[in-house]
Amino acid sequence: MTSQLHDHVGVSDPFLAEIVLQHEIEKFVYLEALMLDDRRFEEWLDLFSDDVHYWMPTRSVRYEREAHKEHSAPDEVAHFDENKRGLEERVTRLRSGMAWAEDPPSRTRHLFTNVMVEAGDEPDSYQVRTNFLLYRGRLQREVDIFVGVREDLLRRSPEAEHGWLVARRKVTLDQTVLLAKNLSVFF
Amino acid sequence: MHPDISSLVDTRNGTLDARIFVDEEIYSLELKNVFARSWLFLAHDSQLVKPGDYITTFMGEDPVIVARQKDGSVAAFMNQCRHRGMRLCRADAGKAKTFSCTYHGWTYDLGGRLVNVPMEDDAYRNGIDKAEWGAIKVTQVATYKGFIFGNWDPTAPPLTEYLGDFTWYFDAFVDRCEGGLEVIGGVHKWVLAANWKFAAEQFCSDMYHVPVSHASAALALTPDDTDADEEVFPLDGTLGRQFTSPWGHGTGFFTSSGDVLALIVGREPGDWFQGGNPEVVDRLGSQRALNMRGTHATLFPNLSFLPGINTMRVWHPKGPNEMEVWAWTVVDSSAPPEVRERQRVGTLRTFGSAGMLEQDDGENWSEIQQVLRGHVARQTPLNAQMGLGLDWDDDPNFPGRVNRVYCETAARGFYGRWAQMLSGASWDELAVTPPLEAVTPR
Repeated sequence: MTSQLHDHVGVSDPFLAEIVLQHEIEKFVYLEALMLDDRRFEEWLDLFSDDVHYWMPTRSVRYEREAHKEHSAPDEVAHFDENKRGLEERVTRLRSGMAWAEDPPSRTRHLFTNVMVEAGDEPDSYQVRTNFLLYRGRLQREVDIFVGVREDLLRRSPEAEHGWLVARRKVTLDQTVLLAKNLSVFF
Repeated sequence: MHPDISSLVDTRNGTLDARIFVDEEIYSLELKNVFARSWLFLAHDSQLVKPGDYITTFMGEDPVIVARQKDGSVAAFMNQCRHRGMRLCRADAGKAKTFSCTYHGWTYDLGGRLVNVPMEDDAYRNGIDKAEWGAIKVTQVATYKGFIFGNWDPTAPPLTEYLGDFTWYFDAFVDRCEGGLEVIGGVHKWVLAANWKFAAEQFCSDMYHVPVSHASAALALTPDDTDADEEVFPLDGTLGRQFTSPWGHGTGFFTSSGDVLALIVGREPGDWFQGGNPEVVDRLGSQRALNMRGTHATLFPNLSFLPGINTMRVWHPKGPNEMEVWAWTVVDSSAPPEVRERQRVGTLRTFGSAGMLEQDDGENWSEIQQVLRGHVARQTPLNAQMGLGLDWDDDPNFPGRVNRVYCETAARGFYGRWAQMLSGASWDELAVTPPLEAVTPR
């Protein structure tokens, strides 16, 4: 990761370069959170590459000896399994004025911590793992709290407005039975 | 003191007493007289492939284990140790040889027989008859075309009789090819703060909500050059049928519509469902193979499904004010891989926890439940009069008692049967007493 860092960040000290990279990526993570919480969904869509895969597998309760079956496999059911067009359709729905599960809109606050950056499996890409807490308030007194981990592949994309594109996202929720009436918000 | 049961559901005038959705006493009676006497969906054969495969589920609020036996049969028994009542198995699914209680270690085999008691000779030197203390077995277990059902009531009629005249419609979903349906792995489970009957009734009897409740999804999924109403979703009730069974089951569908299915779940599964599977016409005839589209259905009381969209779910009751939804995606076992894959994605995008259509249903049901906290709201009858008195039972194409697709005859049949069962009517009475008055000749 070090030589790649040197090229892109322009800092020769590998330790400093890593700090700069971490800072860049954290700023991007926070920017996305802001867009979601401000309901700037059209801008949010532009943070994703055209070939994005946005995936949230389901989870079930399993004994330790079958722990490998806890998460649904890629060819099984998932909460989300979207491409770019699918995300766009969801935004179209939210903007329709008739998406009753989100109209009146939820009040969301996306909190991200434990940002861990590693080299990605493509050139100029990074695997970014973040823990999240998503608070949702709805209508007068509904509250949902979603906690989990988000694993993204971020591509450095100088042509993109914010310098990065999310090319893959896997979201893992720490619930099996969702204690919420739906997942009408984005993660 | 709960209100007089016979006045809760008035099928003659098409009104519902709102207390059936909120009253604790009615709920307890419902667990006893409806859930502990009805045939309830337990699992699908494709979820229990090999001996030892098991899933845990609920019958009403009673937890049960459903396990494939060494001889290939299926056993279902209470997920409860007979010693102190501890839950025997705390996983959703898996593979086991035995189920051992984690409290004191009483151990049961795949059929629920008590096979080992720790320190038996010392601790029970007074003797214990293990044959007497097996897990409580589900009284009746039966399978219909891959669907495994259980019933606690020894006097309940056989499953095939209970399916009754709904069988013809059920087959249009489950019997499209030699191997029947398969459940795709993984399940959506989520909690809705609403009474289970709102959901079961809607899937039984409600095409009417679709254009309004799901307007946003229709807009998002319909290409710009398509007129959603005309080409996709007809607003003309003569272009479809709704069916009600005296056993409380119900379904509704369009007989003529464009690409509603292709838009919702995608071109490949849509085409496969409507004529693409070569076996279907031979097995079911062209009426069921080609002319039932956008179907909704509930098998009384709480198994619902949407053929073609291929979501299937159980609405587990969790008190009068809450249900837990378990939703699976199914596919014809003969479907080619690309159809299966497109179905998997198309279904989860529209139905399930994050489904673009499903989200709006949950919003409706949970808000009704909130409103029904009020005293006046609970005293206010709800209207289920749509199409009242206009059913017919001599349709040339669709057997049984039917009406136009925008109608509430299946809701009246559902609630009518529910009230009959709630009142404690015996199965002998239920078999000869339909919940609705006879059809008025046209």
